[in-house]
Amino acid sequence: MRRKRPTVVCLAAALALTGCSAASTGGGEGDSALTYLTFETPSLTAKFWDTSIANAEKKVPGVKVNKIVAPSTDRDAYAKQLQASGQFPDLLQSITPSTFATAGLLKPYDQTWVDAKFLLPMGNAYKGKVYIPPTNSQIIPEVFYNKKLFAEAGISAPPKTWSQFMAVCAKLKDAGITPVELGGGDPFSASMPLVGILSADVLGENPNWLKERYAGKVKFTDANVKAAVTKYRTMVEKGYFNDGALGVKYADSITNFTSGKAAMYIMGSWFLGAVPKDRADDFGAFLTPTDDGSLVVPFSVGGSMAVSAKAADPAKATAFAQAWSLDPANYKTLIEGDGAFPMLKDKTLDDYGVSVTKVFKDSYSYVTAQNEKVSAFGWATNDDSMPSGLNNAFYAASQALFSSDDIDGELAKLDAAWDAATK
Amino acid sequence: MTTRVRPRRGDPALGSIALVALGLYVLFIVIPVIMSGWKSLTNENPLLAQADFVGLSNYTEMTRDSDLAASLSFTLLLAGAVTIVANVVGIGFAMLLNRTSLSYRMMRTVAFLPQVLSGVVVGYVWRYILARDGILNNVLVSLGIIGEPITWLGSPRLAMFSVGIVAAWVLTGFTTVVHLAALQSIPVELYQAALVDGAGRWQRFRRITFPMLAPGTTISVTISLITMLKLYDIIAVLTSGGPANSTQSTALYIIQLAFTDNRYGYASAVAMLLLVVSIVIALSVTALLRRREVDL
Repeated sequence: MRRKRPTVVCLAAALALTGCSAASTGGGEGDSALTYLTFETPSLTAKFWDTSIANAEKKVPGVKVNKIVAPSTDRDAYAKQLQASGQFPDLLQSITPSTFATAGLLKPYDQTWVDAKFLLPMGNAYKGKVYIPPTNSQIIPEVFYNKKLFAEAGISAPPKTWSQFMAVCAKLKDAGITPVELGGGDPFSASMPLVGILSADVLGENPNWLKERYAGKVKFTDANVKAAVTKYRTMVEKGYFNDGALGVKYADSITNFTSGKAAMYIMGSWFLGAVPKDRADDFGAFLTPTDDGSLVVPFSVGGSMAVSAKAADPAKATAFAQAWSLDPANYKTLIEGDGAFPMLKDKTLDDYGVSVTKVFKDSYSYVTAQNEKVSAFGWATNDDSMPSGLNNAFYAASQALFSSDDIDGELAKLDAAWDAATK
Repeated sequence: MTTRVRPRRGDPALGSIALVALGLYVLFIVIPVIMSGWKSLTNENPLLAQADFVGLSNYTEMTRDSDLAASLSFTLLLAGAVTIVANVVGIGFAMLLNRTSLSYRMMRTVAFLPQVLSGVVVGYVWRYILARDGILNNVLVSLGIIGEPITWLGSPRLAMFSVGIVAAWVLTGFTTVVHLAALQSIPVELYQAALVDGAGRWQRFRRITFPMLAPGTTISVTISLITMLKLYDIIAVLTSGGPANSTQSTALYIIQLAFTDNRYGYASAVAMLLLVVSIVIALSVTALLRRREVDL
């Protein structure tokens, strides 16, 4: 037998496969084949993505979109891996634009289109350009509360100032009710109370704090940041969080709160999608209280998909992204399932045909009202976004402050991490 | 009837196999290590498509990196503690299971089972066992051993302890099998002679079993240490390195540097450090244990 045959066969097969692959992604003569990075959650299911993609495809003739599903909800990490292996997608859903725009990997949207369609056109702009259409927003975090447990503890109204908030916590604890549920087993979830306090106190006083941190004008070790972090540490010391909070996973913390095991829950407004519909009136929401009772909305304008600067067909990729971003059917799922606040111009909630709870409407009123909105600390996707990798340091500090009272040390670590990430 | 092919000196088939093995070793071990060594001298960032030569600056940065120091301390502590526990328990299990009946053979399989499971599966299973409302707490509370559930993964010290216990549980399967093999190679005549001389159970263990286990222990301890020094999967699932980075192994830190922080260059430098540390520890421990074998 001639030994060369297997090699020849393998080579031929590989070539054939390459040829097949190229042909099969085309989806027909003249079609542009695009790859689209998505992610799946209990509310944003595979069916949602498939349907939304099919609907947008119909609006852009000659485009065939192949879905890539990130293995976890961390789209940024997966997109980086794809980039490192030369497979950066043509379209990327809900990524952090600054991470990729800095590297020149994203194509900005036409500003005229953005200005015409969205309530806050520059809501997630990075260095003056919009890389993800500002389709929806979140408040990160709100303080959700259980009205029945408040009543049981003799609390008649949600607190407006920080001292009232601490008094409410004390009253609940005295009544044998866990004041605040925390799913600290997941680092992002552990950081939520701190995100709320820093957004309210530090950004509320100086909305440009993050930009000034980039410029080296302010530091984490500054007195005002330390004072804010001390509030969080005080909550820990007084035992206002559930026992073993750092051992509770995020998903379990939702169940614990909705089943009445704690009176309050500090989480992004996406929690609204998890409020039990049949008991929705049992729950209310308020913003992290400030010292003087002024309202500060920790706000984050999110968006749909970014377009790769090296997309196979930039024009069709952009057309597809625009079609998807304006489809009301997608908003319905995002609003009802993910608690997203829509940001399309000239639309009311009724225009989306959604069924939402009172606590959703109350929360949405913070978005539509004229008030002080600041970038949610660590969650912004615009110029206030933190340097890549700093979120991990921030989450670790949030967890460390559960067992350590070395606030100065933790803040110094954050400064060091920031400096290392931006050098 | 099967025919055994006896290898002959200069057999060309053997030479081909050796060449293939050598080729694979070079392809999958030597070249990646050399590439990693080169990357460690650059500031490679895959997103920025940048990879400038920066000399030894990554290595000098390591001396100031408190996160690296913390991860390395945890890794060394874990490797040392788990190696000791797994090998002591492994020797005990090996002695218990050193019987030929079917039931003991089945128990050996059960003892080896954790070693067969993927680290990811192990992590998930133990995450449920160690949860605040998990099986372990339920059992301990129902037996009245503890009053309140313990958050095994919820405080830095307890999480470190829990990771160690899970890693030791996995590794004990391996150490049991290695020591069992070593036990079965001990000549029965030695025990018979000791019995004639009136040696008790403890004396038989101290004078015969323990010394004769030395070659197996050398292998078991060395491989245990290397396995623990590069531990990633179990920790990634069980604690993700938390809380507050308390269980962040060096392997986990390397992944974070490379894929979250996009610092391939610095991650490669840390990987080279871990490689050197692993080689130094493995060679030192092997030399020490081999000396014990010779002394016997």
